[in-house]
Amino acid sequence: MRRFLDRLYRACGWIAAAFIAAICLLVSAQVLLNSIDRVSTLLTGSAIGLTIPSYADITGFFLAGASFFALAFTLNEGGHIRVSLVVHQVPPRFRRAFEIWAALAGGAAALYFTWYSSVLCYQSYLYGDVSSGMVAVPLWLPQSVMPLGLGVLSIALLDALVTLLKGALPAYAHPAQAIDTDEGALARSVLDGE
Amino acid sequence: DTWDMPTPYPDKTFHTQNIIEFAKDVEKATHGKLTIKVHSAGSLFKHKEIKNAVRGGQVPIGEFFLGLLANENPAFGIDTQPFLATDYKQAAALWKAQRPVVEKLLGKQGLMVLFSVPWPPQGLYTKHEIKTVADLKGLKFRTYNATLERFAKLVGAAPTQVQVPDIPQAFATGRVEAMITSPSTGANSKAWDYVSYYTNIQAWVPKNIVVVNARAFHRLSKDEQAAVIKAAQEAQTRGWAMSKKETAEKTAILRENGMHIITPSPELMAGLKKIGGEMMTQWKKDAGAQGAAILNAYKP
Amino acid sequence: MNEVAMTVLLLALLFVMLGSGIWVAFSLLIVALSGMALFSSAPLGDVLATTAWGASNSWALAALPLFIWMGEILFRSRMSEDMFTGLSPWMGRLPGRLLHVNIVGCAVFAAVSGSSAATAATIGKMSVPELTRRGYPEKLILGTLAGSATLGLLIPPSIILIVYGVATEQSIARLFVAGILPGIMLMVLFMGYVVIWSLTHKAQIPAPDPSLPLREKFARSKRLIPVILLIAGVIGSIYAGIASPTDAAAVGVVLALVLSWFAKTLNLETFKAGLIGATKTSCMIAFILVGAAFLTVAMGFTGIPSLLAQWIGSLHLSPYALLGALTVFFVILGCFLDGISVVVLTTSVILPMVEQAGIDPLWFGIFVVIVVEMSQITPPVGFNLFVIQSLTGRNIVRVAMAAAPFFAILLIALGLITAFPEIVTALPAVMGH
Ligand code: NA
Ligand code: NA
Repeated sequence: MRRFLDRLYRACGWIAAAFIAAICLLVSAQVLLNSIDRVSTLLTGSAIGLTIPSYADITGFFLAGASFFALAFTLNEGGHIRVSLVVHQVPPRFRRAFEIWAALAGGAAALYFTWYSSVLCYQSYLYGDVSSGMVAVPLWLPQSVMPLGLGVLSIALLDALVTLLKGALPAYAHPAQAIDTDEGALARSVLDGE
Repeated sequence: DTWDMPTPYPDKTFHTQNIIEFAKDVEKATHGKLTIKVHSAGSLFKHKEIKNAVRGGQVPIGEFFLGLLANENPAFGIDTQPFLATDYKQAAALWKAQRPVVEKLLGKQGLMVLFSVPWPPQGLYTKHEIKTVADLKGLKFRTYNATLERFAKLVGAAPTQVQVPDIPQAFATGRVEAMITSPSTGANSKAWDYVSYYTNIQAWVPKNIVVVNARAFHRLSKDEQAAVIKAAQEAQTRGWAMSKKETAEKTAILRENGMHIITPSPELMAGLKKIGGEMMTQWKKDAGAQGAAILNAYKP
Repeated sequence: MNEVAMTVLLLALLFVMLGSGIWVAFSLLIVALSGMALFSSAPLGDVLATTAWGASNSWALAALPLFIWMGEILFRSRMSEDMFTGLSPWMGRLPGRLLHVNIVGCAVFAAVSGSSAATAATIGKMSVPELTRRGYPEKLILGTLAGSATLGLLIPPSIILIVYGVATEQSIARLFVAGILPGIMLMVLFMGYVVIWSLTHKAQIPAPDPSLPLREKFARSKRLIPVILLIAGVIGSIYAGIASPTDAAAVGVVLALVLSWFAKTLNLETFKAGLIGATKTSCMIAFILVGAAFLTVAMGFTGIPSLLAQWIGSLHLSPYALLGALTVFFVILGCFLDGISVVVLTTSVILPMVEQAGIDPLWFGIFVVIVVEMSQITPPVGFNLFVIQSLTGRNIVRVAMAAAPFFAILLIALGLITAFPEIVTALPAVMGH
């Protein structure tokens, strides 16, 4: 189970990374086409009009994909920002209480968010909503990244909650991930490239 | 009761001004029992989200650009077809023919049409004078939907996609060389900073529409419902008058700031209308029975 | 309940959420949900989903992960080290030495990027480790980065000027031009502060590299060539008309990959590490942006910001007093809301007041940007603080303390453009005639 979950988070992280690479590819391709048009204008006096249809819309969809798919992975890597001033000052047994509280509140919010983003996605499907640009993209398709990404985030937070109740610390709360615990944080950022 | 009303355009836009008047009329007629709080400039929901927010009951009422729904059904976008209805008289006739179809289509999504107000007729912005369709050949032409893309290709221009805030810089760097938009948008974005010619081709007369969530509407008392409908009728009449005034004022602003306001040559118009005709043939195919219903009812 | 009590209640809740260790994005979501549940009748969950979708599928925002990725690639290449080695011999005489690289680097990058978060992430990724390794004081490393990254909003292109221009029907081109001189002025003020601080704290600035003969100085400057090529390529692609400012971010990534390929620092390992690093950072920022967008909408439904703005309007202040009151208002709201949200929520109430007081809306746009810049570095909700916390592991409170002098300088800049409005209006006035 542990291995499956960790693989799930990691796989979602790489899907998100692929979306970012895809944004870069798509936009670069459009810039290349623009350059060809530019050269054509200089040589023949008229542009060809090479465009990737709806590339701005699609880029936006990919960004949403990257942002939502990466949620759980970023959580586990300690990437989401929190103000840990109080949490790191209190004695260890209170520390656990704080961590349980955070995982509970976060998990509840994530579940709520997952449910309503599913509703949004389902409504788009039901009414056949499409994007308004050159290409009519059925909106439920890009919108499905929200329930998927948030669903995995909810799993990750419940996973953290279970870990905490068992008496251990979740991945994001380990000293190596925790922020502002030691004076050497800056130096560490140099050493290990984080 | 208070209704939150998202609108996409800023306060100074005449559409928003008209809606603010509408809100006041409703409040007065219902003796303050129904107040409408206008959230302009996309400050509550982004333009693309407004229709669905009203549909889902997140807000009871909202405004959006009707052509935005053209991909859902071509009937929504008939007012953005080039050279079908080009002045206010024709635009009014087109809306009369289009309204029943739009009401039926939006009705299926639980939305009621209150009123619709046009933008000024759309003109052509370029750096150099355009005398014939051939002058558009090879120019980089701003497109943002499938209709414009087809139009650009038919006139021999090179379609290019530029987001609204990028327009000035895109003209300055040659990423775009021609666009079709209203004198309002041109004057508000200070088009004279980046182009010199405005050719008044009156390509089409697009509209904004105000819709209300049917469930929210039926929760109102009979008197309140009547007050809303009456205020909406008045808003539509007032809005069309405001739009005509806007056309004159904003064209004057373009002229005062040194732009050349060109009356298109007969050759240019003949060429453009021919292309408009070709596009209508295609549109009829896409739009099916609903499209035919609108065109049969349309008596310009 | 009146608006002040509502505000205080929600702020208290935000502090409890943040203080008890709940993630920033979740804290914002929970506060927004509570605010809407208490003070409006809108269906919470549906509004949340709609807003989240609208905020996350944004073309303009797509530049953010790309710029962050560019920073990650450069960080893993030798280029950031090269940049500091190349500049170091020339900065020996300037008090504060390489700290100025942070400031000028942010200003140069600001000419490409429209956001301050991207500026902080990209420049910081390169400069923080280098400056730390060379022994510069942490307080100034963090402070100069947090402060100068806000230039991303003032030096064109700028997301916030676009938002303001669209909302107030001001010409975006003119607003962009108007931002140039104040941007340069701020850069000079920041540098001046570093000079004065260094002169008064000589012991804390590491010793200069031994002085080199001029030939050697030039020889070392060769190492700057890749960085210069990169900057020229990115800015050049915009002015050659082949890329929009958002497209330029992709040009930056491609150039950075090519340059680090030639420097033999690019391999599958570093490529993957850079990409996944960028994915995490941009996910963190995007999630907070979603929370902030939802809080903005919740505030729109509750009407609190516009009620407060209306209250200021009801005081009928003189123009200077009005500007003073608005500064206080923006600074306080800016502590808790993202600066752009403050502009979105309040322009339709504030702009009529400002115009009635005879204040030029173009000038006011720049005024607003500087105030929004201040909001980026005030806790608890300040995007530059979040980015720098994630970059360095230093808590936002500590970063905010380091940034405090720069907050004061921004305040001074507000005073200067109020006393000498020509700093803003001179360049746009010569434009277009
Ligand atoms: Na900028
Ligand atoms: Na702040």
